[in-house]
Amino acid sequence: MTELEGMNVSRRGFLKVCTLAAGAVGLPAWAGEKMAEKAASGAKPPVIWLHFQECTGCSESLLRTSAPDVAELILGLISLDYHETLMVPSGYQAEKSLEQSMERNAGKYVLIIEGAIPTKEDGIYCRVGGKTAMETLKRVSAKAGAIISIGSCASWGGIPSADPNPTGAVGVNKLITDKPVVNIPGCPANPYNLLGTVLQYATFGTLPALDDLGRPKFAYARTIHEDCPRRAHFDAGRFAQKYGDEGHRAGQCLYKLGCKGPATHANCSLNHFVETPGAWPIALGAPCFGCTEQKIGFRVPLHDTVEVERPTAPPAFAAIKADHSVVTPAVVGVAGLIVGGMAGASYVASKKISAESEQHPEKE
Amino acid sequence: MSGHGNPQAIGGKLFDPLMKFLLALFGVAVVVMAYRFFAGIGPVSNMSDGYAWGIWEPVNVVVFTGIGAGAYSVGLLCYLLNKGKYHPLVRPAVLLGAICYSLGGSSILIALGRYWNSYWLALPGVWNLGSVLLEVAVCVITYVSVLWIEVLPAMLEGAAKSKSTFWSGIGQTWGPRLASAMPYIIALAVVLPTMHQSSLGGLMLIAVTKVHPLWHTALLPTLGLISCLSMGYGAVVVLTTILRYAWNAKADTRLFADLSKVNGGLLFLFAILRLGDLALQGKLGYLFVPGHHVLFFVLEMALFLTPAFMFFSPKVQKNRGKLFAAALMSLWAGALWRIDAYLTAFNAGDGWEYMPSLGEIAVTVGMAAVGMAVFILVSRLFPVVTLRDSHTQTNLGAGHVGIAAGR
Amino acid sequence: MRISRRSLLKGAVAAGAATTLVGKAEAREHRESDPESVGMLYDPVRCIGCRACVTKCKEANGLPYSRSADGLYDAPNDLNSETKNIIKVVHLGDQWSFMKAQCMHCVDPSCVSACMMGALHREGEGTRHHEGEQKGTGIVLYDKSTCVGCRYCQIACPFNVPKFEWRAAFPLIVKCELCRHRADPKKSGPLALANPACCEVCPREAVVYGKRTELLQLARKRQAEHPEKYEAKIFGEKDGGGSQVLYLAPKGLSFQQLGLPKLSEESPAHFSESVSHAPYLHGFTPIALYATAAFLIRRNKNKEEEAERHEEGK
Repeated sequence: MTELEGMNVSRRGFLKVCTLAAGAVGLPAWAGEKMAEKAASGAKPPVIWLHFQECTGCSESLLRTSAPDVAELILGLISLDYHETLMVPSGYQAEKSLEQSMERNAGKYVLIIEGAIPTKEDGIYCRVGGKTAMETLKRVSAKAGAIISIGSCASWGGIPSADPNPTGAVGVNKLITDKPVVNIPGCPANPYNLLGTVLQYATFGTLPALDDLGRPKFAYARTIHEDCPRRAHFDAGRFAQKYGDEGHRAGQCLYKLGCKGPATHANCSLNHFVETPGAWPIALGAPCFGCTEQKIGFRVPLHDTVEVERPTAPPAFAAIKADHSVVTPAVVGVAGLIVGGMAGASYVASKKISAESEQHPEKE
Repeated sequence: MSGHGNPQAIGGKLFDPLMKFLLALFGVAVVVMAYRFFAGIGPVSNMSDGYAWGIWEPVNVVVFTGIGAGAYSVGLLCYLLNKGKYHPLVRPAVLLGAICYSLGGSSILIALGRYWNSYWLALPGVWNLGSVLLEVAVCVITYVSVLWIEVLPAMLEGAAKSKSTFWSGIGQTWGPRLASAMPYIIALAVVLPTMHQSSLGGLMLIAVTKVHPLWHTALLPTLGLISCLSMGYGAVVVLTTILRYAWNAKADTRLFADLSKVNGGLLFLFAILRLGDLALQGKLGYLFVPGHHVLFFVLEMALFLTPAFMFFSPKVQKNRGKLFAAALMSLWAGALWRIDAYLTAFNAGDGWEYMPSLGEIAVTVGMAAVGMAVFILVSRLFPVVTLRDSHTQTNLGAGHVGIAAGR
Repeated sequence: MRISRRSLLKGAVAAGAATTLVGKAEAREHRESDPESVGMLYDPVRCIGCRACVTKCKEANGLPYSRSADGLYDAPNDLNSETKNIIKVVHLGDQWSFMKAQCMHCVDPSCVSACMMGALHREGEGTRHHEGEQKGTGIVLYDKSTCVGCRYCQIACPFNVPKFEWRAAFPLIVKCELCRHRADPKKSGPLALANPACCEVCPREAVVYGKRTELLQLARKRQAEHPEKYEAKIFGEKDGGGSQVLYLAPKGLSFQQLGLPKLSEESPAHFSESVSHAPYLHGFTPIALYATAAFLIRRNKNKEEEAERHEEGK
């Protein structure tokens, strides 16, 4: 706590961040308090962060938090033992930190991987410290308590895996198949998704509920479309047809410009970037390109439209008495003809028989 | 007592042009029915959630069985009231009934959405006795079998006369056996239609909010029963008159006149009950509300009362053609009342409307056509129709089989 | 035996009169609602037309999305084979209201009376034993295994609730079943019996689930709190014999304007069954009729055979 005091962070502010993080994971407020307690008591979870085929965007995203000193705050909640971009040492000293942390925290550390892992030709396309990404991953993941893939690259291959994927880049869960791997896709991933997951693990020792692609349900269960602020425009049929046209300027739905929101599972529409309200692609007039989805991001052309995954009712109401007309002139005609024909035949037959009967009255 | 008549197989070419035409019409119906089984009922019909029955139930089932009530009506007179003079009319009436009811039953199978579950009808344990339709279904299915058993004596008689020893053996053995059991079967043929024809009328009892007040009444079952008897008598006169001109069948005008007086009585009774009920319930006011309901009501009344008066007119009673016309009108009357109660006076609510689709019409017409075809076929092969030329006074009557063989 | 035309007519009239008289004698009992029955209360005054209930119903029942004739996604214009619950709107000059439509779960349902083999039945009642059902909730359930698709239920229901899959080769009848499949036996109270998704998701308690007796109290409470906003009547209290789904109406609109039919206190089922059962006298009539007929016919046959033997003998 004194460290944090030194950083000019009040207990209140700290609690606030923890509560935010807890809320982001769908945990109740008291969990945030517990997290703060645990962190304050010095039991910070050790985190080893490996970088492979990545742009470091996810790490940068983690740091782009606008409340004052929250970067340090975040670092104060976890013990970041190895992070190539942020750590002070480099070279042999950096590698030593890694080995030491692995020894000291065997079975307990959280392993976060940022970036895809190339697999072609024994993975020579990514070498850090003389070892291939594949080797490092295998070694470090063996004793990890929890494994988290941050970003689309680590989750499913991301941009390095785009066609023709010359390096054979794959996501972590293709190489680690014997342990659960939490995927937090996004390009970049939402930092609070990561934070919440890590803190839950640190405080309760459990991972959040995951969907069938290993993504935390609290962030990836719903599509952008379901929570999009421009949804009313979609439902009412108001679309931007071209960049810069009336509709685009008026902030109308970007579906026709190729927005992949209806098929993309993420919470960007709810947790905006850089903690700045309105700082996310759709609000800025740029259609979502489906960065979290392996089938869409870097695969489906930017301006192709997608199927709406779970369509919901548009604001059109049924009338009390609905219209169910079926009658057509053809059918009335045919029915009329048949009835008329039968009536006519009856009449003619009767007349004829009557006449005959009168002409030849028989007893029989 | 006048002659019981001597029914004969008509013989003649089985597949003449008329038969071919009728079977062609049926062929069209078969195609529609096959499509129905693959694509569902919706694509071939205009039935909807508001008008769930279309014309297949009201016409194919309710009207056709009304026409087929000839077996019931004539059976009542002939067997129950012992008016033996009507015997010549019995066999054609029973065959007509068997065919009409079979058409009704098979039409139901096509109209049912989940027809494969109909085997449950055979298990009394699951019957919901509150359902009017259940009574109709069970009763009609049983009655179809009874009717065909009633047709059997004619077939056995034909078999007994056959040149093949196998068939004549069957005819001669089973004919007398069946004859002794017939009273118990005919008794069933009296009880069953009493039940289901009134239930057919009563199907619309539950649609309290949907059937127009001019038609909806607690008397629906009673009216159904009375009108089916009337339709039965009308159908017999119409049928036998047609047979006279087609095959020279015996068509005793005096017999028709006597029969039609019963019909006339029933028609008057129907009209009186109907109007009386409306008056008692204070519904006569509806007759002054302009709309198609009043038109249909007036048309119905005209169709009921005109033949009623005609049947009691001596001029009509002497003229076969006028009797035929009146009998036809009585048929139309009963049919129209049924179609009104089920369709024209049935209002599912605003926004719902119905007119039969071409597919539905094709099936109804095709069913009627195949019914006629079967009638012609059976009459040609078996002694059903009594001809005018029969001078031989034998004591063979319907229901007394095998005595001729014994001679 | 010669019976004159006159006596025949007399007999027919007597029979007709007897039918009606006996009808009065054998009345079918009036059904009261079970004290433990559950249902819903819909309050159009609170409804904001958000249609979360429509969407949630589709999700909870695994129903596909319908496309209307003009291609609008999931904008059904009425209940249908893919829509068990719908919000409608009525606009009458200045007056307007939302209106929810789904199965009314009647106390004495017409569909249950009409259904030949009890496919539509109140929970735990009827001639068939259904696994897992308990009597007393009064929820109208559908069992496809005995349904023959005759659609008599569609004819019978005064609310036009049961819908049919017209375009299926193996069609079903489709209607709200109060989300009985969402019941949670671990919970106490009505939620252990059923858990309608529409009630669960409604943000305004415009549609509420609970015991019918409690819902009636709630309805009256709301009316008492704001008599200027509500019509005095509660639809479903007695209408058509009573229903377990109850409706309030906004002041100035009648229930008929909201699309509900005008019903007397006698349920259509009661009317139909009383009238049609009247002549049967618990089955005595058909048996007596059969015995009489068989006797007479046999006697007539014997008479005739004797007469013929007489003639032949001459």
